[in-house]
Amino acid sequence: MNVVVGGWFTLPRLGRDAFALLMKQGVVYDKAMGFKFDPLTDIQSAVRTIRSATGEDVDVMLRCLICSKVACPGCPYLSVCDRTEVSSLCLCEEHSPEKSVFEAYGKAFVTSFS
Amino acid sequence: MWVEKYRPKRPSEMIGNEQVRFVLSAWLAAWKPGGKAALLMGPPGVGKTTLVALLAKERGMNLVELNASDARTKERLRVRMGEAVNATSLLGERSLIFLDEVDGLAGRSDYGAIDFIKDAVKESQNPIIMAANDPDSDEVRKLSSSTIPMRFRPPPPREVEMLLREIARRENLEVGEEELRAYATGAGGDVRNAVNSLQSRSTSRAETYKDTAISASKAFNMFFEAKDSAEAATALRKLSLQPFEKIRELQRSVLRSGLPPEKLAAAMRIISNVDLAMGRIVKSGDWRMLRYIDAQLANDLQPLVRGSKYSQDDLPFTTLLRIWNDSKRIKEVSEKYAARAHTSGASARSQDLPFVFFLCSGRRFREEFERALDLDEGYDKLLSKEAAR
Repeated sequence: MNVVVGGWFTLPRLGRDAFALLMKQGVVYDKAMGFKFDPLTDIQSAVRTIRSATGEDVDVMLRCLICSKVACPGCPYLSVCDRTEVSSLCLCEEHSPEKSVFEAYGKAFVTSFS
Repeated sequence: MWVEKYRPKRPSEMIGNEQVRFVLSAWLAAWKPGGKAALLMGPPGVGKTTLVALLAKERGMNLVELNASDARTKERLRVRMGEAVNATSLLGERSLIFLDEVDGLAGRSDYGAIDFIKDAVKESQNPIIMAANDPDSDEVRKLSSSTIPMRFRPPPPREVEMLLREIARRENLEVGEEELRAYATGAGGDVRNAVNSLQSRSTSRAETYKDTAISASKAFNMFFEAKDSAEAATALRKLSLQPFEKIRELQRSVLRSGLPPEKLAAAMRIISNVDLAMGRIVKSGDWRMLRYIDAQLANDLQPLVRGSKYSQDDLPFTTLLRIWNDSKRIKEVSEKYAARAHTSGASARSQDLPFVFFLCSGRRFREEFERALDLDEGYDKLLSKEAAR
């Protein structure tokens, strides 16, 4: 299953212990929306918990700061980037090669977080 | 140094940890006396200290920076933190208290330090930010009730690449895509490392960009030829040897370097100090201190040995291999002999075998000895050789 950091996702019923563990690992839960990994989540541990509770592999994906699209497909670092360990936003294939990307990244940060 | 030249001037010029940067800034803006402290957790080189300094500057606050592992006792903390906790300047300028490496408050001398920090958080008229590398440390756990945790992570390699490309553009440096990617991944999320690698590449065109695949001899030669300590540190970082092996290889090489006696003595003194520090790190298990090993070698040793050549063992590899092979076989013979003669392997090697090898110069004895210990033909050559010594 693919999980985008900062995006809501659903899980099958996991049992009380697994749910409590996910909460302890900083996963956000909302009854209506489901679960979410946020900057405080210990994503590495949460992925392990989900994997052992559901038996499914979890592929963590990051969003592009500039356009909010999922950034990972087509990324040259896909095989070497440990997405459970890096910070939660990135750059997508479309914006990364642009010459003015550094400036666009700074502007997007100010726009998104002010 | 490019890390200084391109140090961000504002929080928006940093890379990675976008949400945490925002959350910390918002926390600082909303902070009121009696509020909790912020606790930044994350590995070195991800921008914790830089962000705190930039936020203080942005808000016109006086930054009171304190490394908790340097002031580990309650008394020392009180002396260094005490005034800042309550003070505002005559012009009403506020202070921002930054306690770095709070996970370094370990050991018996820290009794009271954690409680003092907790009290200071409650009483402080100025906001307190703490930083720790290890989010699972006891100190971080003990401070959790007084702090709001914020986790810093390394930026994704794509953002590191973006920064490197921007620096290369400003420096008019032509770097290939693949090379940039190698720097971005090789730094392991440490932005300073990545920028230093790019700078070393610009000053030493011959340097390989593959951070991990560099051979020991090449890395040591880079170390000896480095023009400054940053370049020397990069060479050491690219070395995939264990720290002890690194120190041992440098010691061997420095001994054969032909340096004048005074310089050689000074160099050996530095290596000895580094070796002592390494021993203490192993003993205390404080692995974070490992980063200072390379720094000390690059800053103190390299200027003394600059220009000399890396010298490996004098013997060629094939000879070394033969020696290792022979010693392994002698050990096997001694163990078999020890089992047969009801003695230990060590005393067989040191006391009995010299005589046995001497007797092996006679063919009949040698064959009987081989039969008795069930040695195959490969050992015959070894025994003959040992007998001829």
